[in-house]
Amino acid sequence: MKAKKLISLALGALMCVGAFTACGDSAAPTATPPAAATTEPASNATEPPAATVEPTPDAPEPVQLSWAVWDYDTTPYYKALTDAYSAIHPEVTFNPVDLGSQDYQNMLTTQLSGGADLDVITVKDIPGYANLVNQGFLEPLAGYISSAGIDPAAYGGTLEQITVDGEVYAIPFRSDHWVIFYNKALFDAAGVPYPTNDMTIAQYDELAAQVTSGDGESKVYGEHFHTWRSTRQLWAVLDGQNTIVQGAYEFMKPTYERILKLMDDGVAMDYATVKTTGLHYSAAFYNQQAAMLNMGSWFIPTQIDKVATGESLATEWGIVKYPHPEGVAAGTTLGTITSAGVNPASSKREAALDFVKFISGAEGALVLAGLGQFPAVKTDEVADTIASIDGFPTDDNSKEALKTTKVYLEMPLDKNSAAIETVLNEADDAIMTGSITVDEGIEQMNTGVQEILAQ
Amino acid sequence: MPDPSKILKAGANRRKIKDHIVAYSFTAPNFIGFGVFTLIPLAFAFILAFYSWNGSPNQEMQFIAFDNFVKLMGDAKFWRALWNTVLYTLGTVPLTMAAALGLAILLNQKVRGRNFFRSVAFFPYVASLVAVAAVWNYLFSPTVGPINNLLHSITGLPFKPPAGGGMSLPRWAADPNPYVVMFTVVFFSVWKNMGYYMVIYLAGLQGISQDLYEAADIDGASKWQKFWKITLPQLSPTTFFVLMILVINSFKVYDIFINIFAGADNQLTDNSRVLVYQIYNTAFRDLKFGYSSAMAMVLFVIVLGITLIQFQGEKKFTA
Amino acid sequence: MAGSPEYAPVGAPKKRFRVSTVLIYVMLIVMAVVMIVPFAWMLSSSLKLNKDVFSFPMEWIPSNPQWSNYIKIWQQIPLLRFIWNTLFLSVVVTFLQVLTSSFAAYAFAKLRFKGRDFLFLAYVATIAVPWQSYMVPQFAMMRSMGLNNTHLAIICLQAFTAFGVFMMRQFFRSVPDELCEAARIDGLSEYGIWARIMVPLSKPAMVTLVIFTFVTTWNDFLGPMIYLTDKNLKTVQIGLRMFISQYSAEYGLIMAASVVALIPVLALFLALQRYFVQGIATSGIKG
Repeated sequence: MKAKKLISLALGALMCVGAFTACGDSAAPTATPPAAATTEPASNATEPPAATVEPTPDAPEPVQLSWAVWDYDTTPYYKALTDAYSAIHPEVTFNPVDLGSQDYQNMLTTQLSGGADLDVITVKDIPGYANLVNQGFLEPLAGYISSAGIDPAAYGGTLEQITVDGEVYAIPFRSDHWVIFYNKALFDAAGVPYPTNDMTIAQYDELAAQVTSGDGESKVYGEHFHTWRSTRQLWAVLDGQNTIVQGAYEFMKPTYERILKLMDDGVAMDYATVKTTGLHYSAAFYNQQAAMLNMGSWFIPTQIDKVATGESLATEWGIVKYPHPEGVAAGTTLGTITSAGVNPASSKREAALDFVKFISGAEGALVLAGLGQFPAVKTDEVADTIASIDGFPTDDNSKEALKTTKVYLEMPLDKNSAAIETVLNEADDAIMTGSITVDEGIEQMNTGVQEILAQ
Repeated sequence: MPDPSKILKAGANRRKIKDHIVAYSFTAPNFIGFGVFTLIPLAFAFILAFYSWNGSPNQEMQFIAFDNFVKLMGDAKFWRALWNTVLYTLGTVPLTMAAALGLAILLNQKVRGRNFFRSVAFFPYVASLVAVAAVWNYLFSPTVGPINNLLHSITGLPFKPPAGGGMSLPRWAADPNPYVVMFTVVFFSVWKNMGYYMVIYLAGLQGISQDLYEAADIDGASKWQKFWKITLPQLSPTTFFVLMILVINSFKVYDIFINIFAGADNQLTDNSRVLVYQIYNTAFRDLKFGYSSAMAMVLFVIVLGITLIQFQGEKKFTA
Repeated sequence: MAGSPEYAPVGAPKKRFRVSTVLIYVMLIVMAVVMIVPFAWMLSSSLKLNKDVFSFPMEWIPSNPQWSNYIKIWQQIPLLRFIWNTLFLSVVVTFLQVLTSSFAAYAFAKLRFKGRDFLFLAYVATIAVPWQSYMVPQFAMMRSMGLNNTHLAIICLQAFTAFGVFMMRQFFRSVPDELCEAARIDGLSEYGIWARIMVPLSKPAMVTLVIFTFVTTWNDFLGPMIYLTDKNLKTVQIGLRMFISQYSAEYGLIMAASVVALIPVLALFLALQRYFVQGIATSGIKG
């Protein structure tokens, strides 16, 4: 009796709910561009009155662009970019929507799925880009790029690398590549020659072994691997024979064996220690625990800044190009791009597109370079600007290291990049903690990724 | 003759209706808020379990009936996540309950510095998870952590497994053995949350009438007898509440695992993957919102089942 | 663990009393140490440079204390604003939660009406559904109501929870039905019973709910992260995470801000825990 009653009640409730969401369903698909306009009045209520001021005939209509970003307060270049843009276009103001860096992609998905009024979208990484494209949250830009006269060649091939079926959905504005940071004082103390701009991986490891010294508190590791999977797996793709998304990973075996051996020999810090102590790569470098650090060029401005404030004890330092496998040209390295796109539901499409063009173009590039950041548009002027920043190492090698020959994206584009990355990350962690052997890990990656690719 | 009884009945009916209105007026303020802001979106999520959807308003939702559930049956990652969650629940629930009850009874007595001790016990719950997870990981770090260094000096076991195999110190959160991994996180969870449940028990203890103890004293009951015959039975509504909330929260665990195990990329592995992580990632990383909802629904049904059993148990024991 | 046998002591014969008292204190002190170690670590780290926070071997008393960390946290982010926002949210949410939950709980515990058990079960079971699985539809709904980027969104989200109703109902059940019956005979309405009998008799439970709700709202991260993207509206927990950015993490500052963020909550707990004293409830019943 009672159970019956419960069931009938539950059914009734479900039907009510069904009726409700049925309305919701029919409303959801229409929340595409045309309908976006109808939702405007509600959202305007939360915007400052400036946005609703009557346009005067001569002055351009004021526009406020909402820009999805992360770490707004700790990353100076956002404000520098918007300020530079507003200086030329006084009618445009900005509303930065800070979604935090840790969970940026998920927060962004929530905002966009819920129809939030975002105009400009920063794309944090390639998996995130692939997801945004799959969901239709980025405006196709190929047409705009050609009509606005943007030169794809200026982006050093990165624009091509994010092209999907002949269409591109965002324009890179930052492009970092991986280099080796090294601590000159530690090399001097060990009487070992500095690393150079043309080293094979074997030479690099040899150098690392030589500069390794000490024990306990005074231990100096020759090289350091941060917890990110990229600091390990990417060595394996430098020869250009394989990619991270191909679904067969036997080629990674030598790399894993190499790194596990370095850790066993005490040339690099043990993975479990780095992970559980939460040791940040910057701390390992500042505290002179690591003589060499493989890291992205984004670390340059931070290191300069921390030397100036006295927090970094690695005051004598330099950078050199990434080591390369035998038979591969020096200057072959990995890259990470940050790009910007436009929300197709935005009602301020024109202004948003123009802003994206600005930050990814030559003007934006100089603003970024002035802050020590690497813009996607690489000109000689950019490299000079960065090398001339106060605190940048003065040796010629360091300046030369800013130039690259061939850059592979950390994560090449695939429509399943996000899912593939998850599989790779999990297997990598399991291998590095010794939960599974290298062979088992490769097997796990193979089956996991092939499963995704088969869908 | 039948008239008076009819009148009585009518009056009783009217009273019944009035009683209902009064009762609903009590529940309404909370229920309306809860219904609008939680129940409706939640119902939407459940309906989603029968659809295929990538989370975008630009994409039509596709009705696929039970396909998501059929797929779940053969999803090894899901089952592993469920197994890990169950294992965690089995470990956490009894230990947390015992620790919380023990603490509450200890701190319900007249001891010096009681306020201090109570606050100290509550502290881990209040403290920011990011901060305390960091210190735990540090303390339990396999090679440099103080705990393993202490164990090393006592037992002489090596930090890393010797080349030829053999005993070595546990590597805790980074151990290859899933049970060691689970033990580490259960231990942390008990430490972090026992103060919370202690507070509930403390509140429950205040509700026990002193008269009962006085009566028992007159009968010459021992402390043990009083604990078993008065304290425990009188606490049973509290105990059921603690049990139910603990079970539910254990099944929903996410933050603790992320903060203990995940590095920079918010990633859990086979040994540490829990259900909510799988639900979250399936939706937001793999863009399978329907499939993710199906997982959430399975979780819901499991917890509903356990809760129903507990309610039956509560009726039996507290009647 | 901290198990049952030690329960026995108070009032036992003198000799045993002593031994067991010592035992109790030993246990309490061990417990306190285990609980306090992380706090000590936080305090110590909050006075360090970022790079030294995770360095080993660890230095409990920083040789070069960075008191400036406690100044920087106010300068680098609008922490005061965040604290004020969080305080406002926590107080409003707590007030609404305690009021509506105890109200609803009274009906569930002491009144009989159609659908009571079903409704209650629905309440409890929904606690099991992880928020992550319905935050998208919830966000879409809130936004269409114009609640995105308002504190009201967080209030609506946090103030009406199943947990509060469940907890209050559990405690109300332990109040004897005879008391309510007697009050009804005396002519008190149901509202009167709630106000004059249930609430005063459930002070420890109410206090518990106050503490829990306050702490939950205070420490909530994901909710404000989604709904409060306007800088002027953000809360303390978002502020803490601002020190962890994409490529760097200022752990010294995080710890300093965590210490500051902890103070209001601990103060509340200290102030309210005097209600956890045996006798309040019982004296009410006698009276």
